[in-house]
Amino acid sequence: MTTQEPALEQYRKKLGKLEALTDKPTHYCQGCEHGELTRLIANAIENLDIRERTVMIDSVGCSVLAFEYFNIDHIQSPHGRAPAIGTGLKRVRPDLIVYTVQGDGDAMAIGLLEVMYAAIRGQPLSVFLVNNAIYGMTGGQMAPTTIEGQVTTTTPYGRDIEFTGAPVDASKLVSAIDGSAYVKRVSLAISEIETAKGKTYSIKNILEAKQAIENAFKVQMMGGFSFVECLSSCWVNWKLPTMEAKRFVNERLIKQYPLGTYKDKFGIEKK
Amino acid sequence: MAQTTQQKSLVRIVEERCKGCELCVVACPQGNLVLSDKLNRMGYHPAVWRYMGTKGACTACGICYWVCPDFAIHEVLVRT
Amino acid sequence: MTERVYMKGNEALAYGALKAKLNAYFAYPITPSTEIPETLAKEFGSEEYPDFKVFLQAASELEAINMVLGAAAGGVRAMTATSSPGFSLKQEALSYAAGMELPLLVVNINRGGPGLGNIAPEQSDYFQMTKGGGHGSYRLIVLAPNSVQEMASLPKLAFDLAFKYRNPVCIAGDAFTGQLKEDLIFPRIEAAEYDVSSWAVTGAKGRERHVINSMNLDPEVHAKHVAHLDEKYKTIQRDEVRYESYLADDAETIIAAFGITSRICKSVVNKLRRQGSKIGLFRPITLWPFPHEEVRKLTEHAKRFLVVELNTGQMVEDVRLGVEGRARVEFYGKLGGLLPTEGEIEDKLRTIEKEEIAA
Repeated sequence: MTTQEPALEQYRKKLGKLEALTDKPTHYCQGCEHGELTRLIANAIENLDIRERTVMIDSVGCSVLAFEYFNIDHIQSPHGRAPAIGTGLKRVRPDLIVYTVQGDGDAMAIGLLEVMYAAIRGQPLSVFLVNNAIYGMTGGQMAPTTIEGQVTTTTPYGRDIEFTGAPVDASKLVSAIDGSAYVKRVSLAISEIETAKGKTYSIKNILEAKQAIENAFKVQMMGGFSFVECLSSCWVNWKLPTMEAKRFVNERLIKQYPLGTYKDKFGIEKK
Repeated sequence: MAQTTQQKSLVRIVEERCKGCELCVVACPQGNLVLSDKLNRMGYHPAVWRYMGTKGACTACGICYWVCPDFAIHEVLVRT
Repeated sequence: MTERVYMKGNEALAYGALKAKLNAYFAYPITPSTEIPETLAKEFGSEEYPDFKVFLQAASELEAINMVLGAAAGGVRAMTATSSPGFSLKQEALSYAAGMELPLLVVNINRGGPGLGNIAPEQSDYFQMTKGGGHGSYRLIVLAPNSVQEMASLPKLAFDLAFKYRNPVCIAGDAFTGQLKEDLIFPRIEAAEYDVSSWAVTGAKGRERHVINSMNLDPEVHAKHVAHLDEKYKTIQRDEVRYESYLADDAETIIAAFGITSRICKSVVNKLRRQGSKIGLFRPITLWPFPHEEVRKLTEHAKRFLVVELNTGQMVEDVRLGVEGRARVEFYGKLGGLLPTEGEIEDKLRTIEKEEIAA
């Protein structure tokens, strides 16, 4: 099963199994940032020791099977409705920590009202948006965040913004609402960097996302609405090799959707 | 097996979870991970770890652990 | 509240729900159901109803019903009320609720349709409520009050059935039963306690996690789940039928009606009985499960049925199913929000009689 088995008593665990994860192998494509997000959320749940009172609201899209991977209570949601279900649950059981994982179509198209109103109400809730600028699960159609000129199955000649409107900036929209308390955009794709030794890969993005996700839960516990937009790749539907897809995220998507903290009402990042 | 008494770190991989995405292979600064030739149950070439990589020994930095989307890189251990 | 009160049907329903220990209400206004959230908003925070902990107005009908879903998944008594166009919007969530086996109460105050229609009473959502509305193999339990008294007493029954069977329940009002003001002595309602510990989402502390889910990608697993739901519905059909049978035991003519029309039909029955007619009234209270068996039993002595509805003929089909061709079934419908007069119904009965003599 494992690659090497020397005398394990001589070692101590630096990084290990997360309680909040089940053992089920994921259905996500190779290298998909959904898997990354799953680990980062599980890590935050463990660091904050909230597994026994955390509830996840699944949504429709590639995250629909997420309930198989988190060892916590789940409620499934119709497409776009996850923040409403989370609001209903949180209002009747305010002691629970409730979060949703939604794709860009789920949150910014069919579910735009539900996300906006959760922010408007300042509802203590955490929304994690996986923005890969495409509808993944259904085979690669245009999404609200698809950028100009991007080829998808419903924009086979490239997205024409005269015709379809301009791409939606989720973090800007949500941060413009008074009620939102923590809005941050991160990238979950590993990035290529130039060093003295030549080109290498950095996980700086992922570590920043790790902190942002933990902050999001902390902000919810302080009574605020937190929203973390995670730029991701979808090499299968973008029809690019995996590492080129990661490059697309960190070079082109980032230009359209700059990373950063768009709102930090409680100053959680300074703590 | 003699080298195990000198290894300062150990990375354990659950082969059956690995999808051969190669993120750990490119991310490891010391080149300690490669895709093996064998196939796991899902039909992928799983990644394997070795203490001495192409650029040096494993420092248990944990980058492979954080970057793996499938939790196949299961544990990173350091010698006590 | 034990004294005699005088109130609208919608208000009575709100108080009935409060007395049944309603925990959460998620609102969206739509005429003619809006008095329900308005009454609850007024009573929110009142010491008389300490279990009523959450009142929230949603931004859309969809948001409201999905909030109810979330609250119901938490194991509490949650409800919302709407009217026909809003009820259409809620169908997806109701299908999910049935698939996820969640107890919740949705009130539909039927108004004129299709489309925007009008705000006057119709009974044209009968098909939508009893035969689906949403996608997939599920049923809604549908209860039809015909008086302010019943608007007050049915919410408790609705919650009892919802939690007993873990299924959504619909109270089928219409603009008349909703807007009618009548005096009533408020019924004594003993709220029950429901055990939700085996499924409710309350945080996986000291137990296996609960997954509230209606998705089963494996066809065999899904088949089992749908069969399980079907078993549940068969049990409900066997055990939970409710109806009112008025002077029907020896009747040769039966008028069948539900909701507000049954009140008018009852007057017709009384009048014609005084004139010597062997006529009776059959009023289903559960529109689903429909009392097909009881209708069939009536054909042992009844020769003809007149079904009176505020639509173009919906419950009449269920009556025909129950009658199974053993008696004549005729229909009289009144549309647009108008109510039939006793005279019109008597005229229709006379026409039927004439046709039978001529034949």
